[in-house]
Amino acid sequence: MTRQPSTTPLRYRVPWKKIAIYAMAIIVGIYILAPFTWLIITSLMVEVETLEIPPHWIPHNPTLQNYRAFFDPEFRGLEMQRGTMAYSGGSVQRMRPALRNSAVVAFSVAILNLTIGSMAAYSLARLRFRGSRPLLVFYLGSRMLPAVSIIIPMYMILRRLGILDNVLSLIISYTTLTLPFSIWILKSYFQTIPRDLEDAARVDRCNWLNMMIRVFLPVAAPGLVAAGIFSFLISWKDFLFALMFTATDASKTIPVVVAEFVGPGQTPRTLMATGGVLAVIPPLILALIFQRLIVQGLVAGAVKG
Amino acid sequence: MTYSTYEQGTSAVKARKAPRAPSESRLAAILNTPAVILILVLLAFPIANSLWISLHRYDLKRPGDTPFIGLKNYTDALSSDAFWHSLKVTGLFAFFAVLGVTATGIAIALLLNESFKGRGILRSLILLPWAMPPVVNGIMWAWIFNGRYGAFNGLLYDLGLIDAYRLWLTDIKLAWVVLVFAYVWNQLPFVVIVMLSALQAIPNELYDAARVDRANTVQAFFNVTLPWLWQALLIVLILQTMGALRIFDIVYVMTSGGPGNATDVVAWLTWRTAFQFLDFGKGNTYAIIVSVITLALAVLYIKVLLKRGEFAV
Repeated sequence: MTRQPSTTPLRYRVPWKKIAIYAMAIIVGIYILAPFTWLIITSLMVEVETLEIPPHWIPHNPTLQNYRAFFDPEFRGLEMQRGTMAYSGGSVQRMRPALRNSAVVAFSVAILNLTIGSMAAYSLARLRFRGSRPLLVFYLGSRMLPAVSIIIPMYMILRRLGILDNVLSLIISYTTLTLPFSIWILKSYFQTIPRDLEDAARVDRCNWLNMMIRVFLPVAAPGLVAAGIFSFLISWKDFLFALMFTATDASKTIPVVVAEFVGPGQTPRTLMATGGVLAVIPPLILALIFQRLIVQGLVAGAVKG
Repeated sequence: MTYSTYEQGTSAVKARKAPRAPSESRLAAILNTPAVILILVLLAFPIANSLWISLHRYDLKRPGDTPFIGLKNYTDALSSDAFWHSLKVTGLFAFFAVLGVTATGIAIALLLNESFKGRGILRSLILLPWAMPPVVNGIMWAWIFNGRYGAFNGLLYDLGLIDAYRLWLTDIKLAWVVLVFAYVWNQLPFVVIVMLSALQAIPNELYDAARVDRANTVQAFFNVTLPWLWQALLIVLILQTMGALRIFDIVYVMTSGGPGNATDVVAWLTWRTAFQFLDFGKGNTYAIIVSVITLALAVLYIKVLLKRGEFAV
């Protein structure tokens, strides 16, 4: 896959190039890591420590009380004694329903995407039918619509359906938004699967649905996982739609709650940082576990025709 | 090329269960129905509806009073200083954000294509910004660039690069630079990943040939690497430009369009017009104008993709 040193003829064998590469690697590493590290460090601080000038790069009294505050509703920590918990309590309590809503929405969207998406993708990858090309352009084109231009009418439709401020509204809208992309990566993955499989299933007198469930989809699992993760993450990370369609804790997702932390002196910075870290952890875990699939999926989704 | 597909072959077998085996196009129609319905109802219809609303005075503050006013919303928008200002801000932002993210992304992709110890770790690490929801990204950078307690000020001060703290996000000239910075960090992984995979697809023989021709590293980059990267680069540029023109999340949490109206991008103006001032007619009009602008980019993207598709397989 990657070029090995021995087969990289243009590599100059002078040490300064190696030095330059390592120097750049370190700079890139710091550039990627430093901002997030600072967020984690802040989440480990006591609130007053964030007000130090110059900033303490390493917390003098590192504490996990901010994390405890999110998960233990009875917890009254140091913040309380300083009187800041009074207004931080609200945001802390909203975080748990928000985590739940985000998980429910993202999981449902992923499942719906895989079901509806693999049906359409299979037809585009395998079947020859009239109108397959226009259909392809239709799916591709709907991927390109700017969110701002559909959100107002979508809001009006959902209001008429009476599902505003309901996770259902987010599940439906995210599924529609992510579907074209899912179809696209599923199609490009399905095309890499040899046809022999289906032929073998045919010999075994297996009907189409059985063939899909027992033979085809298991083989296509990597593609399905990639598509599932992408739709999960797009739903998890979205802010604009969640901001418009949700109003109360019944449906607010994490980005909305986290964004509410940013008010005129509303929430202690340490709690804000903690909320941020918590919102990043699920996507980050997925990204690290399924790194290879995600990389392949991103490339296939963007570049492959 | 054989199109002997599943259904044709099984028609005899399936005949026992279904009276008539569905033909390929019937199966295709069944399979595509849910997706097409969903997209028609929740994407296509809204777009059409949005066009329709933009021809009306549709102000939620005056319910029941929505007269057809033709193109008045459009002429109003095009003669509105606020709208032109937001177009200018959005365009400027997009230009620098795309330039920044593409240049940085290619540089990092070139680095990750070299072999060195720890490359695997760095390749995993590059996914971190991608995992971060834009809202959290915005909050993180707003905290780092905080004028009074921010880490960036502290760092520059500790290094002796500034002698007084700067108010990054409340300075008209600096606020959108910070936005570009935050945006680039968040979008970088996509560019790096796509460009890296394009780099890896370059056959080594080309570099051998270049060496035989005594090309140096720079010449090899321009004559071998760049032509091969062209298609991927075009796609990255198109998708990034479309993304940058829609910027909303980080503006919402970092600057709220401020200071003054220095970062009043189109999506922010649209959102405020529709959901704060409740003027859906005007909000839709802004949204449509922006859609038309990005439509050209979308057409280009689809052309590039489908053209590739013919070469593939």
